Amino acid sequence: MKAKKLFPAVLSLGLLIGGGLAGCSSGDDKTSGEGGKDGDKVTVDIFQFKVEFKDQFEDIAKAYEEANKDVDINITTVGGGEDYGAALKSKFASGNEPTIYNVGGPQDVADWEDKLADLSDTAAAKAALSGTLEGVTKDDKVLGLPYNQEGYGFIYNKDIFEKAGIDPKSITSYSALEEAVKTLDSKKKDLGLTSVFALPAKETWVTGLHLSNVFLAPEFDQNVINAFESKEVTFEHGDAFKKILDLQNKYSDQPTVSLDYAKQVEELFSTGKAAIIQQGNWVSGSIAGIDEELANNGVGILPIPVEGYKEDSIPVGVPMYWAVNSNKDEKEVAAAKEFLDWLYTSEEGKTAVIEDFKFIPAYEGYDAGKISDPLAKEIYEYSSAGKTLAWTFMGYPTGWGQEKLGINIQKYVSGEMTWDELVEESSKAWAEARK
Amino acid sequence: MRNRNLWYWLFLAPALLALALVVILPLAFGVYYSFTDWNGIRTPSFVGLEHYKALFAEKEFRDALWFTTKFTVVSVFLINFFGLSLALLVTQKFKTNNILRTIFFMPNLIGGLILGFIWQFIFTKVFASVGELIGVEALEGWLSTETTGFWAMAILMSWQMAGYIMVIYISFLEGVPQELLEAAEIDGANSFQRFYHVTFPLVMPAFTVSLFLTLSNSFKLYDQNLSLTGGGPYNSTQMVAMEIFKTAFVENAMAFAQAKAVIFFLIVAAISLTQVYINKKREVEM
Repeated sequence: MKAKKLFPAVLSLGLLIGGGLAGCSSGDDKTSGEGGKDGDKVTVDIFQFKVEFKDQFEDIAKAYEEANKDVDINITTVGGGEDYGAALKSKFASGNEPTIYNVGGPQDVADWEDKLADLSDTAAAKAALSGTLEGVTKDDKVLGLPYNQEGYGFIYNKDIFEKAGIDPKSITSYSALEEAVKTLDSKKKDLGLTSVFALPAKETWVTGLHLSNVFLAPEFDQNVINAFESKEVTFEHGDAFKKILDLQNKYSDQPTVSLDYAKQVEELFSTGKAAIIQQGNWVSGSIAGIDEELANNGVGILPIPVEGYKEDSIPVGVPMYWAVNSNKDEKEVAAAKEFLDWLYTSEEGKTAVIEDFKFIPAYEGYDAGKISDPLAKEIYEYSSAGKTLAWTFMGYPTGWGQEKLGINIQKYVSGEMTWDELVEESSKAWAEARK
Repeated sequence: MRNRNLWYWLFLAPALLALALVVILPLAFGVYYSFTDWNGIRTPSFVGLEHYKALFAEKEFRDALWFTTKFTVVSVFLINFFGLSLALLVTQKFKTNNILRTIFFMPNLIGGLILGFIWQFIFTKVFASVGELIGVEALEGWLSTETTGFWAMAILMSWQMAGYIMVIYISFLEGVPQELLEAAEIDGANSFQRFYHVTFPLVMPAFTVSLFLTLSNSFKLYDQNLSLTGGGPYNSTQMVAMEIFKTAFVENAMAFAQAKAVIFFLIVAAISLTQVYINKKREVEM
């Protein structure tokens, strides 16, 4: 009885396994056959984070493929800072490693070091503007190529300033800014404003990373590597920091602690209910979505003044870098480098970078007159005039800017913490992270 | 029980295999990683109990754990209270019973993330407007303090889950034999006495299930937390699941987060099992 029952079971199991194996092997044959046929073709897998220019980037990659028949480019886009890091890790963990991916700064470079190819010999690396490669250079090796430049500051509504009789050109110091804010506040009703500022304390990247950077950068001599290597942070310009934060908080729509990016940019600024917001050139798209005219002609950017240091500058930096995976074979690495070189140094690539991607170029040899976005143009002008502060927040200990300082700023603006406590606790958290 | 021959195992094998692959194996890997310094990229090396020692010293984790516990106590009570009330309501002889059941169950069909965003709008915009209109200041600035954030979460959670729990209670309420209730009525028991002494003990098994579901769901809550308050203001409404996620992906401490997750798993398992054990003892057999 038992043997009789056992037999069909074993038989069916055997068939199952055999069938499965047969299926697999025939599949293998097929793929290897295909591989042999066009073995000259190189596939470059790109895993990148910038959602805003996804379509334009895919178009340009297609154009490159047409011109170079032996290269196959696959682009995967996963947006948003945090999500990208997690997605990239799972991509590597799955064994399906991309050829080109993105790294953010010194911390990323340290984490990914074993998987970064040396890019010093690329034309793009040679054309990169001075200072843009600081965060990704290690032992004279260039491990990443900048995407573009971005800048932030106080974005203001030109129309409202004009109606209030304020000349934005005159605002190059803290006192002038305070004066202007008070004037705007006194004329709030006539100008149709709910508040002068819109401080999004809910977005810890706006306060904990961007705002803090302006006042911490001097401490690190405007160098991201110094920030990355520093064992401590002293809040040397803490008073100036407090003044700007207080000013924004006092004249902002309340409660700031639950005010987010959408409310700040779309609901308040784009509709003319707030006159000034602290943001960067990336908001152009959001503003255009509400009021195209305002985005194209009605916005300008003011410096964030650091009293007693630089009062007329705006922070300009590189948001993300292209990295090439050194684990891939030579041919693939070479093809990846060629593509990046073409993108940033060929005439066709350059046109796309400025006109289609609407980037502020981080490389030499671009015609700045072609930049169409007004915020981008102004930032480029600040940059050429040398009126810039560096982006050093990429060198903060991982998570410190948002999870420690940003959270403490939320506590400070809702009265749960004094400024002295904020300075003390945040410095302590920094020292602990760098122990 | 003695029929566990080859066929038994053969038919069970796919299920066991799936369970092993998607539950047991990842869990084992997770426990292993919690003893290493894994950061998601490099090959891990062993660090022993280091993470477990650091874990309870961390204020953020303790705060999140305490907040989650408070939230769970409140929402378990609210959800079961409303769930049972709704169930009692729709098992009365009303004509609109079926429609009411559908309506009460509906919130449960909407995903947690979307619900969070919808309620965010209600709490910040609708509440503020209503507050302004009738002059109640307490309705303004919701989600911007710890207390309002807490109650906002509790309200959202009971609104969403009460309908689901209602269905469980309904099925048990309808199983209560009418003879028993009639007998009690003839003996002179009023409606409260009938509920307390007859219906209540008979629906005890429903409590076991409902308490287990609400307890574990409230403890593990993540998506509603993320979309409604995002843990803000200043991380004061951050629940454990979110704290663990942030440790892993924002602070990039994968192995440390894994250790927190293991502890979290043990806590939830211990509480739920104790609850089921206690409830089971109180159930009465008919």
